[in-house]
Amino acid sequence: MTPSPLAFGGRHPNPRNKRAAAVIGVGHTDWVRDWQRCRAGEQPNDSLGYGLEAFRNALKDANINRDEIDGLIAGPTTAYERMGELAGINPRWGNQADAVLAVSQAVMAIEAGYAEVVALIYGNDQRSVGTQYGGPAAMGGNSFLSYVYHSPWGFTSQGALYALTLQSYKHSRGFTEREMGEVSVAQRGWSSLNPNAIQRKRISIADYLASHYVCQPLHLFDYCLINDGGVALIIAEAERAKKLSSRPVFIEGIGRSDLNRGATSLEPRIDEFYLSAQQAAAAQSYAVSGLGPKDMDVLQVYDSFSVHVPLALEGYGYAKVGEAGKFLRESGIGPGGKLPTNTSGGHLSETYMQGWAHQVECVRQLRGECGDRQVKDARHVHYTSDVAGKCFSVIYGV
Amino acid sequence: MNATEVKTPRPVMGVYDKPMWESIRAGAMKLQRCKHCATWLYPPGPSCPKCLSPELEWTPVSGEGKIVSWVVFHRHYLPAYPPPYNAIAVRLAEGPTMISNLEGAMPEDGCIGRAMRLIYVTMPDGVMLPRWRYEG
Repeated sequence: MTPSPLAFGGRHPNPRNKRAAAVIGVGHTDWVRDWQRCRAGEQPNDSLGYGLEAFRNALKDANINRDEIDGLIAGPTTAYERMGELAGINPRWGNQADAVLAVSQAVMAIEAGYAEVVALIYGNDQRSVGTQYGGPAAMGGNSFLSYVYHSPWGFTSQGALYALTLQSYKHSRGFTEREMGEVSVAQRGWSSLNPNAIQRKRISIADYLASHYVCQPLHLFDYCLINDGGVALIIAEAERAKKLSSRPVFIEGIGRSDLNRGATSLEPRIDEFYLSAQQAAAAQSYAVSGLGPKDMDVLQVYDSFSVHVPLALEGYGYAKVGEAGKFLRESGIGPGGKLPTNTSGGHLSETYMQGWAHQVECVRQLRGECGDRQVKDARHVHYTSDVAGKCFSVIYGV
Repeated sequence: MNATEVKTPRPVMGVYDKPMWESIRAGAMKLQRCKHCATWLYPPGPSCPKCLSPELEWTPVSGEGKIVSWVVFHRHYLPAYPPPYNAIAVRLAEGPTMISNLEGAMPEDGCIGRAMRLIYVTMPDGVMLPRWRYEG
């Protein structure tokens, strides 16, 4: 793919954006342990507690002193000030953001010189407190009008938004139910190799097709898990990262493009499946990094629902537009497939950490720490997300 | 539970939503149309997304549209909506897309692209909703 400068407003990418920062530490909670405890009716921790457990693990992983940290980003589910208080950090720069925005903002702060070592801390007690992603008190309704605007017609829940997307996508591309099943089957293949994954039992296409609809055309296996947990990352300026760490994972380049027009009545999803924004975000990150889809050893896609994956395959240049179904069937994204995708099992099968755990998997694949699911000699890992029309492309490399 | 006690989920009711819901109650839905560039708005809002003009005029819609996507809910989220029930996305002849329901049938494979007609349905608790049926 040759990225066109026009794809990002006619401006050439700033070369300083390439390898400006690196991840030097990752940490998370024990999702399997807390899943079992939640299922037994316990409340193992609160969102802050999960975040802090992850932060302790990330500090240990980075093998740095907390005093090295001068920037802090708290995830969207915890108050920034209280997170900073409990983490004992008085930073010179700080923010609150979701997963991919946090990575992007950490890199921007580092490049602008506002911080050199940024801690990103996320915790979520969504399972134990019964957070609702549908119904009259749907999470996120204050920020996204589409989550609540259509409730008089009974149209509610995140799944419904993606069910409507998939139905239109099937019609437009000739994409089939069986092809959709390839995603959850592949990700269970990966999670069966991941001791950190909550759902590890392999499933077949027949299991997928036999599973019940939640919001047709989405089956049960198309939905993410809802579980408790936390994730933390430590991102440092590139030169500092080389001094602090023997195994930094660099952020090669980032691209972003948003589709807001018609968003409340879901037009960017139904009409074009976010394609133009994904292409623009991809072009920007490819131009910054000098890399393209052929250079990627692993793909990690934000997968609150399985339908994100075929859209990403087309939008970020892995499959021709209209051929994601063929790609899923013939090239494959599971163990043994040509494009290992969501190698942890993702939101569908490992843990639903709203994009945060995907960053950990990117880092671990590049460090070669993934055991049975390790992709051999992984040099570049691509993370993509298209949550609510914010299309992101983040390329990690060693 | 008495059917009349089952409340239809209340619409978002900002300053600009009120005139639309009044027009729906009157059985003739109006949307804002930009006086400068003739763009139609849904949901209602303070200014035209295309040209930014705040000069908008409440104008009756034709009631014509076509179905662009659909789903069937199999889970019970809302008291007024026991499953299975459908939701559809309709592209209005005027341009905007509206999320609503199909009356008189369940949507099925092959229905995308079919011509639709706007109707007004009174819910058990008296709330009037704009919904759609197949044309003809």
